Amino acid sequence: MRKLSSLLCTLALIAGGPAAAAGINIEGLARTCNNCHGINGVSVGQSMPSIGGLSEAYLKQILMQWKSGERFSASMGRLVKGYSDEELAAIAGYYARLPWVPVAQNTDARRVAHGKDAVERCVTCHGDTGSEPDDDVTPKLNGQWAQYMELELMKYRDDAVKMTHKKMRTNARKLDEEGLKSAPEFFASQK
Amino acid sequence: MNPVNRRAFLKAIAAASSASVLTIPARAHAGVKARVVVIGGGFGGATAAKYIKLMDSAIDVTLIEANQTYTACPLSNEVISGHREIESLQTGYDKIARRGVNVVHDFVTAVDPLKKTVATQGGRKLSYDALIMAPGISFDYTAVAGYSEDAVTDMPHAYKAGEQTRILKWQLQAMADGGVFIISVPPKPFRCPPGPYERAAQVAHYCLHNGKARSKVLILDANDSFSKKGLFEQGWKALYPGMIEWVPGAGDGKVERVDVASRTCFTGLNEHQGDVVNLIPPHHAGQIAVRSGLANAQGWCEVTPMTMESTRHKDIYPIGDACIAGELPVYDMPKSAHMAMTQAKVAAGAIVAKLNGLPVPQPYYVNTCYSTLAPDWGISVVHIYRVENNQFVYVKTAGGISPLDAPPLQRKLEAEYCVGWFNNVMADAFA
Repeated sequence: MRKLSSLLCTLALIAGGPAAAAGINIEGLARTCNNCHGINGVSVGQSMPSIGGLSEAYLKQILMQWKSGERFSASMGRLVKGYSDEELAAIAGYYARLPWVPVAQNTDARRVAHGKDAVERCVTCHGDTGSEPDDDVTPKLNGQWAQYMELELMKYRDDAVKMTHKKMRTNARKLDEEGLKSAPEFFASQK
Repeated sequence: MNPVNRRAFLKAIAAASSASVLTIPARAHAGVKARVVVIGGGFGGATAAKYIKLMDSAIDVTLIEANQTYTACPLSNEVISGHREIESLQTGYDKIARRGVNVVHDFVTAVDPLKKTVATQGGRKLSYDALIMAPGISFDYTAVAGYSEDAVTDMPHAYKAGEQTRILKWQLQAMADGGVFIISVPPKPFRCPPGPYERAAQVAHYCLHNGKARSKVLILDANDSFSKKGLFEQGWKALYPGMIEWVPGAGDGKVERVDVASRTCFTGLNEHQGDVVNLIPPHHAGQIAVRSGLANAQGWCEVTPMTMESTRHKDIYPIGDACIAGELPVYDMPKSAHMAMTQAKVAAGAIVAKLNGLPVPQPYYVNTCYSTLAPDWGISVVHIYRVENNQFVYVKTAGGISPLDAPPLQRKLEAEYCVGWFNNVMADAFA
């Protein structure tokens, strides 16, 4: 049984942790996220981000910002308001412990090449390929869906909606129309 | 592992709040051979079958579905308007079969809830430990006088996607400029609450961009309000001014009789002749659910909030459009793909726990419905339900509709998210 016990400890660490302690059925809760974000948080819809393997701090922060209303979302705000802070923290922890899977997608070689120049302001925080962000609250971008990233940039460029990150606002606005397409394609093409 | 240890192992996993990704290893179950039968391979049934298998691969899961190819209803209004091909809504069952689900293309003729058996047209007889009942809806063709099952080609419902969707599209294409396209909406509850109103927008969009701008969409409604009403009316006015008219039940909108040959709809006091009549008949839970004794007097299956188990028969779990759930009577769960899938996941979790002798897991119910009024104009509604003291509670501090005064970016995002949502739900249910 010793082998089994250590296995159980590992399982508890992976799957349960604080969520289990708080009486949250985190597997059941996370299953509802799969509808839009894919099994294990790997999305197959181009406008929807993959979330499995993003950092716990980033996921927790964005969920809480949507809940408080300080950050605009088209629909996530209405969803997260239905859950306790503990449940949202458990979701962040759950997805952070899954592997990040860059999604293979069709990208335009010319755009990717142009994107390499367009992302000079992005890579200082997100890393050269988007895979090694500077800090815990900056998301990975390598192999994220290009369309999702373009839509996010459109949010940062639009004064009509409330976004939290000043630096992202500034840098997203500095992209020209071509950069708005090619920067996402560059990161989308990275493994 | 001996049986006692296996049980302790499973309990410990449950305590660790396990485990769909952490699939319970098949060999830990050498002794367990429970059988689950799933009736119906739509979003609800396919999701339930797949997730039971993911959670516990030792459970034998058989999905019985008459058709080899499934055609999704969500986004099918875009087939009518020519924005999408019907093939983009279709899928087979090969991928969930590869996950270990026994997929049987057959038609269930009888369920015996006492003997716990299912009989099929093809002569099969299957016994079950748990049964997922996900047959969708059956139309009541006799509810509107003059209508019948034979009339569905002349007055298509297009409310089960497939051939009916194509017929309605062809009729729209054949309609002359200045024509009247009637949509007759049945009394609530009905499948896809925003469906008829999204359809009106898609039809108007087709007409506006195909030389038929003088045409009109007339919605004859048995009800006095509808899902996302303010958002729809705002969108109709902005995108298709003067092209869409909605007649509520209180304004004599309920179609009581039709004359199929002349494409005429009779309401209490008026008659409306259409060039195309899209008659959505009243409906109820799929026939097999009704015949199995699961439905209430209104034709829908009531369920236990913690598990989705039927209130009428043990070990049967009616999910999807066939069930009636939520904080009734006001906040009923919408009959949507998304809702069916979260119900399926709750039922799957409850069944796997029960078959492994584990406590009932906490259920989570959520719905998201997107509607697309134009390529850059999407709107949505979100519903969250919790279970408190074994009752469904609609969470009023969350959910709700997209804001009415939203900037254009919100409408664009929701139109794009609708497509991303669709790709993900198709994969989550069928792949």
